[in-house]
Amino acid sequence: MSRHDVVERIDESARLRALDALHVLDTPREERFDRLVELVKELFDVPVAAVTLVDEGRLWAKASIGLPTGSMPRQDSVCSVTTERDEHLVVPDLTVDDRFNTSSTLMASGLRFYAGQPLHAGEHRVGVLCVMGYEERELDPAEIRLLRILADWVEVELATENEMRRAALLQRALRPRSVIRLAGFEVAGHCVTARQVGGDFYDWFIARGSLHIFAGDVMGKGIGAALIASSVRAVLRGAARFISIEEAFNRTAYDLDQDLGDTSMFVTAFGACIDPVTGHGRYVDAGHGLAVLLDREGVPRRLVSGGLPIGAISGDHWDAHDFVLDHGDTLVVVSDGILDYFETPNDGLEALSRMAGRGLGAQAMVDEITGFVERVGPVDDVTVVVVKRSAG
Amino acid sequence: MMQVHTSTIGDATVLSCDGRLTMVAAPTLRSAIDDAVSDGRVRLVVDLAGTSFVDSSGLGALVAGLKRTRQAGGDLRIASAQEQVRMVLNLTNLDRILEPFDSVGDAVHGW
Repeated sequence: MSRHDVVERIDESARLRALDALHVLDTPREERFDRLVELVKELFDVPVAAVTLVDEGRLWAKASIGLPTGSMPRQDSVCSVTTERDEHLVVPDLTVDDRFNTSSTLMASGLRFYAGQPLHAGEHRVGVLCVMGYEERELDPAEIRLLRILADWVEVELATENEMRRAALLQRALRPRSVIRLAGFEVAGHCVTARQVGGDFYDWFIARGSLHIFAGDVMGKGIGAALIASSVRAVLRGAARFISIEEAFNRTAYDLDQDLGDTSMFVTAFGACIDPVTGHGRYVDAGHGLAVLLDREGVPRRLVSGGLPIGAISGDHWDAHDFVLDHGDTLVVVSDGILDYFETPNDGLEALSRMAGRGLGAQAMVDEITGFVERVGPVDDVTVVVVKRSAG
Repeated sequence: MMQVHTSTIGDATVLSCDGRLTMVAAPTLRSAIDDAVSDGRVRLVVDLAGTSFVDSSGLGALVAGLKRTRQAGGDLRIASAQEQVRMVLNLTNLDRILEPFDSVGDAVHGW
């Protein structure tokens, strides 16, 4: 094998990796790509338009009009040739072009005209935005420019797919890993996400014989907030397994000082640790302010403190406070997104009291709250965690 | 689009916010605060009379502003916070460090 062959092999490997990283091959059709090819078809007044990806041995179309679905062999495709150079390829008449008129599939299709603009993932040419027709045709410079502009758009959409998948994975990192099975207790929770990935997180686990629950909210929306949220959740989770809950908060704040530093980011959070035998609990409130203990009649006691959010001031310190989750009591922790649905926090509190007074179980309460939010429509992420201790 | 108007009272600089202080608007306030501090004006009053709503990004801008002014040997106070703003400051306990004054006059008094 010549040196040239080796280099080509390596480049092709890298190109295929870049294509794989898009996570687009063999995925279902998507409206945004369908609409794009439809637009391309109209703009160029052609019978065929497609977004194709050039895989190792095949050509696969993410969206196409006028072409049979499925893959076709790479060697027979014009698009594969298009990806060989970093510029558009226009073939006014396939039947007289020796590169293509030997392909029986192509000739049998009756197609004569082809124009394609390579699609990039980073520096690699992974596919093509192409148009084809049954009549001979040339493209003028304006049309070539238009095709390039549209290809840029397709590239952005291909990259966005990857980000949304990453966002979904990130969301999973903001939730508890397992269900709690603890005699005498019911633990449930849910986060209703608004359109973007955000900074809400919640968690629960049993450690040192106690039930731990956490709920928090990183200021901001989007991937940045979500990344910090998953970091906070992980640090709290790790720390609380070995040390007291207030120490876990203090340690988390110390660890985060670098990340939150001089930025305007801060994290509101609530954490509680409950002894399942006695019901005795300790909680830390870091500017969260939305945790309430309800007895079986629904009489509320807000579990608050003067604690500031983590990151509001450097070197801050939190203390834990006591509470008791008696038989029949409910502990509800919600994120501030819930306030969008009530005139005042008190109105929200009253709604929760009524729910508790009706004797709803934890899951039923979570379902009712999230059902309400989903019906009205999420403005911001809304997280709710409920712990109910069964009646004696 | 939220606007920030700058004025002075004595040796304090007043930044009046006109509009909702949300994620979109927060950078505008941050810039105004940064500009003032860079200019050596480190006693800032953020007048929120024209701000009906603040979200966590807006709070972040205020907290960052507080940190910046204090690092520069000054301070940041807020004035004329409306109901929703006071509620959020109270909920997060941030009113412990960002004490809401009833008016710009009160905030500047005794500085």
